[in-house]
Amino acid sequence: MTMVTEKDINEQIAWAKINTDVLKSMENPRPAYWVTLAVCIAMVSTAVVAEYIQYTVGMGTANLNNPHMWDMYIAAFVFWIGMSHSGTLLSAILHLIHADWRKPIYRFAEAMTTFSLLTAGIFPMIHLGRVWNLYWVLPYVSDRGIWPNFRSPLVWDAFAITTYLTASMLFLFVGMIPDLAICRDNTTGWRKKLYGILALGWIGSDRQWRHFRKIYLLMACFLIPLAVSVHSIVSADFAMSIMPGWHITSFPPYFVAGALYSGCAAIITLFILLRYFFRFEDYMTLPIMEKTAKLTFAIAMVWTYLNLIEFASVWYGHDVYNKELLIAKATGAYAWIFWIMLFCGSVLPFALAFRKLRRHMPTMFVVSLFLNLGMFFERWMIVAPTLSMSQEPHQWDIMYGSIVEWAIVFGSFGWFGMLFLIFVKVFPSVSMYEVKEMVFHRKRSAGEEDLARMTDHAKPVTQTTGGGSA
Amino acid sequence: MSGKMNRRSFLKVMGWSSAGAALTGCDMPTTITLEEGKEEVMSYLMPEEYVIPGVGVWYASTCTQCAAGCGIHGRVREGRVLKLEGNPDTAVNNGKLCMMGQAGVQGHYNPDRITTPMVRSGGSLTPVTWHKALGLLEEKLGAISGDRFAWFTGTVSGHQSVLLANHLDAMGSTNHYVHEVVNNAVSRAVNQDMLGEANPRLRLDKAKMIVSFGADFMGASQSPVQYAGQYAKFRTNKERGLLVQIESKMSLTGGSADLWLAIKPGTEAVLALGMANLLLNKIRVSDAGIPSDVRTLINNYDITKVAQITGVAGHRIQRVTQLLSERSPSLVLAGANVEGQAQGYAATATIMMLNHILGNVGKTIESAGEFPFPQLVAKQGGTADLVAFAEAAKAKNLDAVIFHGSNPVYSAPKSLGLAEAMSSIGFKVAISQFPDETTMAADLVLPVDSYLEDWGTQVPADQAEASAIHVQQPLMEKLNAETKGLGDILLTLLKQRRKDEYGQFEDYYAYLRNAFVAMPTSVKNDAKNNDEFWNAALQTGVIKVDAGAKNLQSTVVSVTAPVVDDSAGLTLMPSPRLGLFDGRHANLPWLQEAPDQISKVVWDSWVEMHPDTAAKMGIGNLDLVKVSSAQGSVTLRVVLLKGMHADAVAIPLGQGHEAHGRYAKGLGVNPLQILDATTDNKTGELAMYSTRVTVKRVGPADSLSIVRMGTGAGDSQVGRKLVGTVPVEQVRRTEGT
Amino acid sequence: MSLDNILNHWSDYRKGAEEGGHHDYEHRWAMAINLDLCIGCNACSTACYAENNLAVVGKEKFEKGQAMHWMRIERYWDQQELEHPEQGASFLPMMCQQCGAATCEPVCPVAATYHTPDGLNAQVYNRCIGSRYCSNNCPFRVRYFNFYSYYESSWPEPMEQQLNPDISVRDKGVMEKCTFCMQRIRTVKDKAFMEDRKVKDGEVVPACAQSCPTSAIVFGDTMDDGSMVSKLWKKHQVERGIYQKTKLAKKDADLRGYRIFEELNVDPSVMYLERVREDI
Repeated sequence: MTMVTEKDINEQIAWAKINTDVLKSMENPRPAYWVTLAVCIAMVSTAVVAEYIQYTVGMGTANLNNPHMWDMYIAAFVFWIGMSHSGTLLSAILHLIHADWRKPIYRFAEAMTTFSLLTAGIFPMIHLGRVWNLYWVLPYVSDRGIWPNFRSPLVWDAFAITTYLTASMLFLFVGMIPDLAICRDNTTGWRKKLYGILALGWIGSDRQWRHFRKIYLLMACFLIPLAVSVHSIVSADFAMSIMPGWHITSFPPYFVAGALYSGCAAIITLFILLRYFFRFEDYMTLPIMEKTAKLTFAIAMVWTYLNLIEFASVWYGHDVYNKELLIAKATGAYAWIFWIMLFCGSVLPFALAFRKLRRHMPTMFVVSLFLNLGMFFERWMIVAPTLSMSQEPHQWDIMYGSIVEWAIVFGSFGWFGMLFLIFVKVFPSVSMYEVKEMVFHRKRSAGEEDLARMTDHAKPVTQTTGGGSA
Repeated sequence: MSGKMNRRSFLKVMGWSSAGAALTGCDMPTTITLEEGKEEVMSYLMPEEYVIPGVGVWYASTCTQCAAGCGIHGRVREGRVLKLEGNPDTAVNNGKLCMMGQAGVQGHYNPDRITTPMVRSGGSLTPVTWHKALGLLEEKLGAISGDRFAWFTGTVSGHQSVLLANHLDAMGSTNHYVHEVVNNAVSRAVNQDMLGEANPRLRLDKAKMIVSFGADFMGASQSPVQYAGQYAKFRTNKERGLLVQIESKMSLTGGSADLWLAIKPGTEAVLALGMANLLLNKIRVSDAGIPSDVRTLINNYDITKVAQITGVAGHRIQRVTQLLSERSPSLVLAGANVEGQAQGYAATATIMMLNHILGNVGKTIESAGEFPFPQLVAKQGGTADLVAFAEAAKAKNLDAVIFHGSNPVYSAPKSLGLAEAMSSIGFKVAISQFPDETTMAADLVLPVDSYLEDWGTQVPADQAEASAIHVQQPLMEKLNAETKGLGDILLTLLKQRRKDEYGQFEDYYAYLRNAFVAMPTSVKNDAKNNDEFWNAALQTGVIKVDAGAKNLQSTVVSVTAPVVDDSAGLTLMPSPRLGLFDGRHANLPWLQEAPDQISKVVWDSWVEMHPDTAAKMGIGNLDLVKVSSAQGSVTLRVVLLKGMHADAVAIPLGQGHEAHGRYAKGLGVNPLQILDATTDNKTGELAMYSTRVTVKRVGPADSLSIVRMGTGAGDSQVGRKLVGTVPVEQVRRTEGT
Repeated sequence: MSLDNILNHWSDYRKGAEEGGHHDYEHRWAMAINLDLCIGCNACSTACYAENNLAVVGKEKFEKGQAMHWMRIERYWDQQELEHPEQGASFLPMMCQQCGAATCEPVCPVAATYHTPDGLNAQVYNRCIGSRYCSNNCPFRVRYFNFYSYYESSWPEPMEQQLNPDISVRDKGVMEKCTFCMQRIRTVKDKAFMEDRKVKDGEVVPACAQSCPTSAIVFGDTMDDGSMVSKLWKKHQVERGIYQKTKLAKKDADLRGYRIFEELNVDPSVMYLERVREDI
């Protein structure tokens, strides 16, 4: 099935080495780890202080005002929801289409999905005027017969996000069970206990594998429409309104494309970081990076295309407010954001079209960060200009968030980083069993069928057979 | 009531019965327990008289937020006055109320009200008892008599005015200084000379066209609600009235004009002469009654010359004049910017002459008749008394002055030197509600009731169709136990001097009731007895009086040629605004938060300039500038406004308080401070609109330091149909007006 | 919105605004504002502060755009290319338009804003969780959010005594807006109910209409054919319902009546009459 001329993984790599390498990444953090974690926690603490101020004093501390009832919180919410789509893309979609180069990198991508959802989920609460009544958006049984308003996209959001979060957490967990068993068998102390519980008694029997494959496939199938619908529903927050710049039919695919885009860019960033810090050069290889980069480039082009569609339909449409807004986006007070967004989102990805650049890690690292900056600005560009220039010109206003708002938004990056850092030290960030599978396949396709030797090397490891990928 | 019982009424019944049950047990929900003894728990089973729990009752009274004397209805619920509305029985305001009237409750409930008498000791004001305060007053005033004593007030009318006059009389003094910044003193003088009446009835509603030379009759004028009501009729008449506003700074009224023309400040008289010229020489209107010297003067002002001097395009002048001659009756008005010139009297008289030429006198300017109670008529003021007062103070001619309802320390230009001269007045008494600048400079401060707690009568100077006395009655119990009504204080003062005459009145209420009883039967309107009359007066808030009808004749006043100041520089327009008015309402947060009607600025002072003028000086919108006159300077932000003549800059009045409570203090600047002390040679009124200033940029624009409402889209409708506009021809076709 | 309700009235609920909606209206309160008479004097706005317990936010918060003026007077300069505004200013009193097909209503996640049988968009303060979506979806931008608690800053003692006990003082985190003086409507309706009669035209007067010195604001019930407001709407051929309907109904397009943003099909309850200008 593979068409690459260059090997995306060294098939000679021993299974035992895979275990050792991955398990090693979970041990004894280096000082750099602690420093990064401390920075992340500091960011979170700042955000907590800011949120405390906002909670006690009022939403006004975020500089929100009459036209700008929403601002950076919603932009960040959409951003983090978008970020969560990459994991699903890699683990579920690519799984279904048998693109097995995803195997070394999908685990951390899935973790990213979960953590960015956990980050995103905080924003609706932060942004709510009376957060203590948040549960009113859920259809709990009330003897007064009061229900949420099912016509509101915010209620759909609540359903979509909670479902997606549950599903992606389960997906992450289920996909990790064989690896947890490996961890269980290779650790002592609290870790052994923890992995023991989480591994759910995995012994790698054929029956377990059969069930595992089935449930994993089913969950992948379940997750894909969910992922697409989640971001479509998030787009409905805007598209269902009558505001210029929001009331746009192409918003659902546009949001999904943007989501996959930022997710892929984030994968590249974390790919490079993990590769560098955990010495994962053997697994996160340059060919895989190239493939990820190509995928990102393709999505970038889809996103660009959808952008152009939106511009064109607005330009040639009859909605004067929308057209006015488009012109204002390109020339008004927020124009700098608009052009940075277009540059980062549509021009910069052309760097990914060059093989030399794709293989140059520092470049890729910087590019991926800028791609995500562009995507963050895209979200800002969706939320702020529309509110600053709605139908009623008397209330036009340009607003930039206060320090409180920015502290909370920055804090969300710290929160994500903190969760991710903890994850990589507690759980294997590379899927051991799937890498083994990959190596096995490569070997088989290369005509080397020396299974016996390999299993010998992997003696202490749980019996894992690569037999017939699903 | 039918047997219907819906959910709401069921809940209501339930609520009432359970509330009743709770009340029976004296179990009022209160945050402070009875044991703490801080709150009085009162059962509503025995409510106070006229108090129906949960039901608001409307009582009639009179507004004193400005001198217009509009009738009000105050909503009283559970013993508190909550909301004021216009009294439909008073013809002056016809059930309507302006923003200042609406905000009256905030003056009443103001947290900065003075609650106890205070006496100056060791440089600062310290609280004393009324007994001590009155004792001090008696002692100090007892030693003075004659013209070394004076009253300094704002406009006063009605029975308070009578008592005040009697007190002056008892003191043997003739010094009653009446000061109003927003006044029409010059117009009154012109009217007196020209029509024989100072306050004739203006009938905007009868006019088919109004040409207003800066008269902001719907804004900060003598009776804004009355004239706004007339304006509504003027606009909705079968033949829709046409409003042309000619001024140097767009006023609230100018905002509603069909044609707004910018005129070089100080040249209004020239334009009026030019229009007279056109009327007499071109349109051939009769020049009957115009003295020959004036006729010659008029002939000197041909259209080209006038257009050149005033900066108003010749074809505009011709068109407006033509229409004036066609649309009869019309009305030509002169505003404060005309009156407040060095030749204010002449300029106003020139403009009023147009009414004579156009034959408007008797049609749109009617006689107000003879008010049957001359002693109750409003004593209106101006700025001449302020100048005279400053002179008297500087000459150390005053030993004791009682201040009430006016804030001269704030509103006197520095050039008058009043602030310094105040110290040479031996004993200064302020009967005051708020700690304003004058009150803070007083030696004795007597806390006065708010107008919602006080008895009184008000006689509007600008009477509507039917003349009337407006009754002012307390709408609620006194908020502060230690305040006294103005009438009561006056009565006390009189009792100190004329015990035999006034001793019979226990309080001002008794005096007032007695005065009502003494009124002739002609005003008692078939009331069976005095009680009925009294009750009816309180119920309606108004006593209609017959002022009789007089035929108004006009005599054109001889005027001299207007002198146009051609020197370089800009003319400062210290423009009063409906809202903060002359600064007295700067302590009412609703009015601070209500944007200026034209520039939409809140909570601040600003200087308005035409963009072209500013561009020449390198000044941009919202730049920080220093506006300097010969008398001093103020530093504030620029708001560029096209509704300005290029030679004028305007600073609205109202801000720049150094005292006057938390809401007023420290905001903006007071343009009155930098005015020249020039006066009109005829009336002695301050020429408030003649000060020349220079403007210098001292700092860059900072949008954060001045707050304006809704300027995001550059004040443009951006192609939307928000305020639709139709030409009058179309409306004539569709609606037949 | 109970299940029974939905099941029993399903066919009604399916009706869109263009088919008259699904409401059984008792009244449909509406306004007609004659912009030819509006002089922009702020009386209505201040009366609204007095009647509805509106908070004074102060300079800093006003600057941030957090003012709470339910009724604001917008002032526009037309013909901006001229050296002077020769036609004066254009004033527009703007408050909640109480749309028949209000865009604020469907987007509220907790249904805190809903349509009353009086045809008003009611805001249930107690139910509001402060998502602020309604404000974002309001083309008129007339919903005001309590970004702070104002009860201490705005009503220092004894100013709190002025507060209208008929309505609440809103705390932070809650959206609020013009209610057409719902408490006054309520009082009058209750009175009429007790006297077993219908509400008379002119009996309900909101604070703004009451104070307007030029009587530019006319308030009433468009379901009452005899009411002043009905007559004005009819006279100017402005009809309830969607834009197309009004457009077709308007036989004389030159009539002055119009509703703002009519093309958005939100069916506002406020009809404005164009300002008349005489060009001389």
